[in-house]
Amino acid sequence: MSRFALEGVHVLDFAWVGVGPVTTKYFADNGADVIRVESAARPDVLRIGPPWKDAMPGINRSQFFASFNTSKKGITLDLSKPKAREIAKRMVPWADIIVESFTPKAMRNWGLDYENLRELRPDLIMLSTCMQGQTGPNALYPGFGQLMSALSGFYYISGYGPGSCTPPYGAYTDFIAPRFSTFTLLAALDYRRRTGQGQYIDMSQYEAAMQNLAPALIDYFATGRVLGPRGNASARYAPHGAYRCADEDGNERWIAIAVAGDEQWRAMLTALAADSTDRRFANAPARIENAAAIDEFVGSLTRIHNAQELTAKLQAAGVAAYPVENCVDIHQDDNLEAFGFWHWLEHKEMGPSPYEGLEHRMSRTPGTLRSAAPILGQDNDEVFREMLSLSADEIEQLKNENVIF
Amino acid sequence: MPSRLLKGLRLLDLTDEKGALCGKMFADLGAEVIKVEPPDGCSTRRIPPYLEDIADPDHCLYSIAYHAGKKSVTANLATDDGRALVADLAAQSDFLVESHPLGYLDSIGLGYDTLAKRNPRLIYASITPFGDTGPGKDYAWADIISWAAGGQMYLMGEEGKPPLQMSLPQAGLHAGGEAAVAMMLAHYPRRIDGLGQRIVVNMQACIVWTLMNEQAMPFLHGSYLTRTGGFVGSADARRKMVYQCKDGHISTLIAGGMTFGNSTKALIEWMRENGLGSDWMRTKDWISWVPGLFMDMTEQDHKETEELEATIQRFMLTMTKREIYAQGLKRRIFLAPVATAADIAADEQLKARDFWTAVPHDSIGRTLTFPGPFAKLTATPIGSTTRAPRIGEHSDEIYRGLLGIAPERLNKLRAAGSI
Repeated sequence: MSRFALEGVHVLDFAWVGVGPVTTKYFADNGADVIRVESAARPDVLRIGPPWKDAMPGINRSQFFASFNTSKKGITLDLSKPKAREIAKRMVPWADIIVESFTPKAMRNWGLDYENLRELRPDLIMLSTCMQGQTGPNALYPGFGQLMSALSGFYYISGYGPGSCTPPYGAYTDFIAPRFSTFTLLAALDYRRRTGQGQYIDMSQYEAAMQNLAPALIDYFATGRVLGPRGNASARYAPHGAYRCADEDGNERWIAIAVAGDEQWRAMLTALAADSTDRRFANAPARIENAAAIDEFVGSLTRIHNAQELTAKLQAAGVAAYPVENCVDIHQDDNLEAFGFWHWLEHKEMGPSPYEGLEHRMSRTPGTLRSAAPILGQDNDEVFREMLSLSADEIEQLKNENVIF
Repeated sequence: MPSRLLKGLRLLDLTDEKGALCGKMFADLGAEVIKVEPPDGCSTRRIPPYLEDIADPDHCLYSIAYHAGKKSVTANLATDDGRALVADLAAQSDFLVESHPLGYLDSIGLGYDTLAKRNPRLIYASITPFGDTGPGKDYAWADIISWAAGGQMYLMGEEGKPPLQMSLPQAGLHAGGEAAVAMMLAHYPRRIDGLGQRIVVNMQACIVWTLMNEQAMPFLHGSYLTRTGGFVGSADARRKMVYQCKDGHISTLIAGGMTFGNSTKALIEWMRENGLGSDWMRTKDWISWVPGLFMDMTEQDHKETEELEATIQRFMLTMTKREIYAQGLKRRIFLAPVATAADIAADEQLKARDFWTAVPHDSIGRTLTFPGPFAKLTATPIGSTTRAPRIGEHSDEIYRGLLGIAPERLNKLRAAGSI
């Protein structure tokens, strides 16, 4: 039995920034050999993104980059140089899967597009993932995940009401698309096993992200109704939202609560040692109708409670509740701890730093973070020597020519 | 036609809103997905909003979207016969995904250990709000709970106002996608030894992953972010991400460095053509201006940023989202409209890629337009899906065809309330 699910799978990874590297991370953490091809001439922008070790920027000091690139090997090739492209091509027969995430014309201009590369390995599976897909008038759109989250509709449904726009943090769509790309690549790998046939996969992050808005889009096309921002209001739960608790150490604390039905409503009141004879809260439809009033009422009750203690109390009564956790809280969270979520890995330059773990656990072939992210060009010597049988002199020469760079 | 990628594989879908997307993804790639629901329908059939506000299961938009391509059988898990039917289906399935309260399926003989005895090939994924071992493993759940527990809620909204969830709950979708990935990961080693395994998906962890670069801030920078409305960055080093325009909002970000500097320059040049902006904006070396979002911004950085952002804001108010986006594309400026469903439906790029897919719904007498495939594949393209099944629509087909149950016995099971 294999120790890891994807032992023996080879991935050549030309991707950068978010979606591509997170996709190949699934492979790397599950035992596939993933070689990331980078270049000092045009470094992955995440390498210079915060947070940095000791808050000091540096090409090998970014946890932003490190988090997305565990368990991979890293080599450098400046693909703007013909010689570097020839070396990259010599690695293609090794690769079951190639992933790239440049704007569409880059790989074509370098002669590293699927049509060319499949000549070197006919059953190659290749994924191109970019903002808006390989074709169409906006294929060359330059963007990043935050903008994509606005373009694909997530910003618009984030706010307190009409006219308010308070987006989610970060490049939200970068954390939707990788599941679709990884799932598709794994299915394509299985299809190749059965049929011998490889293929090319064109993934638009825009199109993948919109799978998470499907009900609203279907509704619009059918009826013209546009889903807008509506705070925390829900058509199913009331109360439903975040309620202020007692401050701790001068920081404000909040608890999320969702209540459906009379039984939970009464349980919530009991847990809060409160009662209500307000007719507006008499039954579930009335409570949903009067959500603003109920928010005020519940907020007045939670204000004196400690968020953690109140969570335990409400949950013991069968009411859905949890503290609204900040970035310190999630590292001290008992449930993530019990799941073994956080990993501290030893990085060549950063030393020990915190990494997000896997979001699932497998019983028989569990993946794990096998190593910290590579520093730039970390595995050059090993990969070029072992895979391409280049001599130490040849490697040195290529470094001098800034081909390996 | 769905793709042929996963043709011949069968997935049993026992999820609610914590995982319905999983089966949809399998169905899109050609697997046979059998949704098992109670005789009166799964809870996902009663999630508002409804099409035309007609509150019946066939008009439930969530169900329409995420049960498309699936088959539906009913089985009453409160009865011995109902449970036996599901066990028999699991014996002939490659995958099973469920999101019941932890331990429930074990308690009625449909847990992994029991089912794997009969079918060692089975890959069985349980979607859980907080994993299967921690103090919260039996916690009551709603989507907003995962949003809060995973740290995203804390960052959404404005200072002085409550933290926010999106208006279309997301945690269940992340978890469904994660279950799909994990099951396909487990499928790969199964080809060698024929053995399946148990998977536990953790929804809280799925939301933590959406925090991008934020989780390590407290350790490396000694600080963490709070809600800053339409800004990114910390309170003392923030940049505006959202600008009002004539008919809504657009998003852009001014920054320097190799990646962003040229975009910032192009935006400044565009404003200059319209008589806006100051000289320093045009002469500044944006390529080497790299105060990151967490680096100290000097007094001058703050002053300049504020002036530039105020200028951009004035400029954007003179145009519509569509006008701004068109210029952004032309001038290669990092910007995007804060798109509504209407904007997305009108988008030329999606039309040019034939993204939208018509799905006939004879169940409600109309054809609906769906978001198209999540990927374009050369050898095994994902075509249009089929409409969500009615509750129990395929009970006869599956129970007779797959399990070989005689019609008379099916009638008896129906009469007894097991189907």
